[in-house]
Amino acid sequence: MQLERIGVALRPRTPQEAMDLGMAMLRAHARPVWSAWLLFTLPIFLLCQLLAWWLAMPWLGLLLPWWLRPLFDRIPLFVLSRAVFEQAPSWRATLKGQRAWPWRRTLAGLTWLRVDTNRSLRLPMELLEGVGPKQRRARWRVLSRPLVGVASGLTWTSIAFELVISLSLGIFALWLVPSEALPDSMRSLNQALSLPAFRHALVWIASGLIYVSMSIVEPLYVAAGFALYLNRRTQLEGWDIDLAFRRLRQRLVEAGMALALFVCVMCLPTFAHAADQPAGADRTPPQSIAEVFHQPVNDKDALFASAAASVYRDARFGQSRKVQHWVRRTPATPQADASSLGGMFANFGAGLLNMLLWGLLAVIVSALIVFALRHWRFVKPAPVERSEAPRPLHSSVQELPLPEDLAAAVRELWRGGGRREALALLYRGSVQRAAAVLHMQPPIDATESDWLRYARNMDDSARRERLIAIVRTWQFAAYADRYPDDAGIDALLSGWPAQQAAR
Amino acid sequence: MLDTVREIETPEGVSLRLRAAGAFGRAQAWLLDTLLRAVVFFVGLGIFSMLGRGGVGLGLLLLFALTWVYNVVCEVWFHGQTIGKRVLGLRVVNADATPITLLPSVVRNLLRVVDALPGIYGVGLVVSIIDPSARRVGDIVAGTLVIHADELPAGSKVPVAAPQPLPLPLDADEQAALIEFAERSPQLTPQRQEELANILHPLTGREGSAAIAQISAYANGLLGRT
Repeated sequence: MQLERIGVALRPRTPQEAMDLGMAMLRAHARPVWSAWLLFTLPIFLLCQLLAWWLAMPWLGLLLPWWLRPLFDRIPLFVLSRAVFEQAPSWRATLKGQRAWPWRRTLAGLTWLRVDTNRSLRLPMELLEGVGPKQRRARWRVLSRPLVGVASGLTWTSIAFELVISLSLGIFALWLVPSEALPDSMRSLNQALSLPAFRHALVWIASGLIYVSMSIVEPLYVAAGFALYLNRRTQLEGWDIDLAFRRLRQRLVEAGMALALFVCVMCLPTFAHAADQPAGADRTPPQSIAEVFHQPVNDKDALFASAAASVYRDARFGQSRKVQHWVRRTPATPQADASSLGGMFANFGAGLLNMLLWGLLAVIVSALIVFALRHWRFVKPAPVERSEAPRPLHSSVQELPLPEDLAAAVRELWRGGGRREALALLYRGSVQRAAAVLHMQPPIDATESDWLRYARNMDDSARRERLIAIVRTWQFAAYADRYPDDAGIDALLSGWPAQQAAR
Repeated sequence: MLDTVREIETPEGVSLRLRAAGAFGRAQAWLLDTLLRAVVFFVGLGIFSMLGRGGVGLGLLLLFALTWVYNVVCEVWFHGQTIGKRVLGLRVVNADATPITLLPSVVRNLLRVVDALPGIYGVGLVVSIIDPSARRVGDIVAGTLVIHADELPAGSKVPVAAPQPLPLPLDADEQAALIEFAERSPQLTPQRQEELANILHPLTGREGSAAIAQISAYANGLLGRT
């Protein structure tokens, strides 16, 4: 057995957890387990049914598969025991491997050990260890001592699981089969049960259902028992410690520490003893709180009380101080007439009204405060904004006067470095002149794209092209900060609209 | 490596190991709970039936409470443990290891209707056999998990010996293995103890029983004994 190749996380587990590990193992190797299981058990099951039919004893079809379970259990155990340490065997290898496994214990399991609630735990020990009878008994005693209760609990739970699954299948079938599909003789249960054929059919159906549920639960049962066995051996032989120690050893050896450590260890005892010798008398470590704290524990309460008393003597605790507050001079006496029911209601109503009125007052006052705050904070600054806001709108297109010679003014600005201003002036002048040509009032809110649209209405294609070029140039300058070169400007300034007289 | 542990890492980098509980333990806990509730119900019905027809109504109310309220109350206010789960050492938690709260508990218990489908928990059983964390439909929907709550005692049973410091620093899991050995070696046969201790010859520099004593001394040192 090579422990390094184990495919299961080894750690100390409770038996309950170990059974869960069995389920996880089965889930991981579901395909090889169940394929081999079906190939092995299904022919035997069908043979049993055939025998029962031939002997005309249907109950045999129910009993025989149940009786042969220790035989069936070999299959999942074979697959799982191989899968834990290496690859899971294929169904072919599993069926072939059955010949090599001992048969005598299976025969025992099929005869005098058939009704044994510890079967799941006994199986791996007998089939995997293969020891002589005397040793086996001693081994079983060691192995099963803390697990007998758990193992039989596992057996009973598995029986319950099989019942649940087979009954569930039956009930679902009854629910889902429409009553019209049933033969007439089965409508009334009493009448049907009196027919021997129906009783036989029930037994056939039951044995089929039980075979299905057995196929689901029996591998689980074997896997859980195998995991219990693995866990017990891990516990008895320290497999997890073995693995961890081997890893640690490998690390140390690989790190080349062995030699250095050897030197250390050879020297260490002398140092250690030199250190130990003076303190040799009180070698035993302290056991109780009293020894650790070098104080008797018995009068802990008295110590605590005195400590608390000294704390309370502190000026911050336990000091008396004066508190002043108002007290009614005439103490409020419960009114005598309030005992009558009407008076109580009147008092109650008056109190309610009083509260409502005070509430109303509070609401009004707070509303007034909110209104005043809003008035001062938001209304006042508003006119300042409004007075200034429209100015730039007006100024941009209409109000600033255009220079007489637009082209010269633009060129002057351009040469002076104010490229943006030059293009802005050119755009403003151009659209004003275009508006004059189109006989329209230039709209205040006209955007560049509006002007492009107006330009398309012009008849003269040369003027149209140039106006469009000017607007585009301005858009590039204004929004993308991209300017034309001097030749481009000259092209824009030649002719209308920069030169009023030209075409 | 096959294991039944669900590992969850918190934002602080702490890894929590949840040991998910399988169908066997859960079924046993459920059976115990059911038997207990049946006893309570029939005793209650016996007492109430002395009150006449109205008593039957009270008995039915008791049945309702035992069926639907018992689980939720136990899970939310008694640390995720019904009585059966407490006996089996199981606990219901949220899938992120936080204690279960009211809403997931109500959801997982309402969905018992689905899990119990043909009336005998057939659906729940099959689903929990298939699911890697053995959750039934209610657990999957509510985002909860049944785990093993009992911790194995670790490090408390190391026999007292003169402590010695380790000659070189070891990783946490290697230190744990040393303590584990010191704790469990009394349960092993003497031959096996020596076999295991001899593996660590590069660390202890000793053989046989001297190596065992050495590892025990290291373990005492690791546990902070003086």
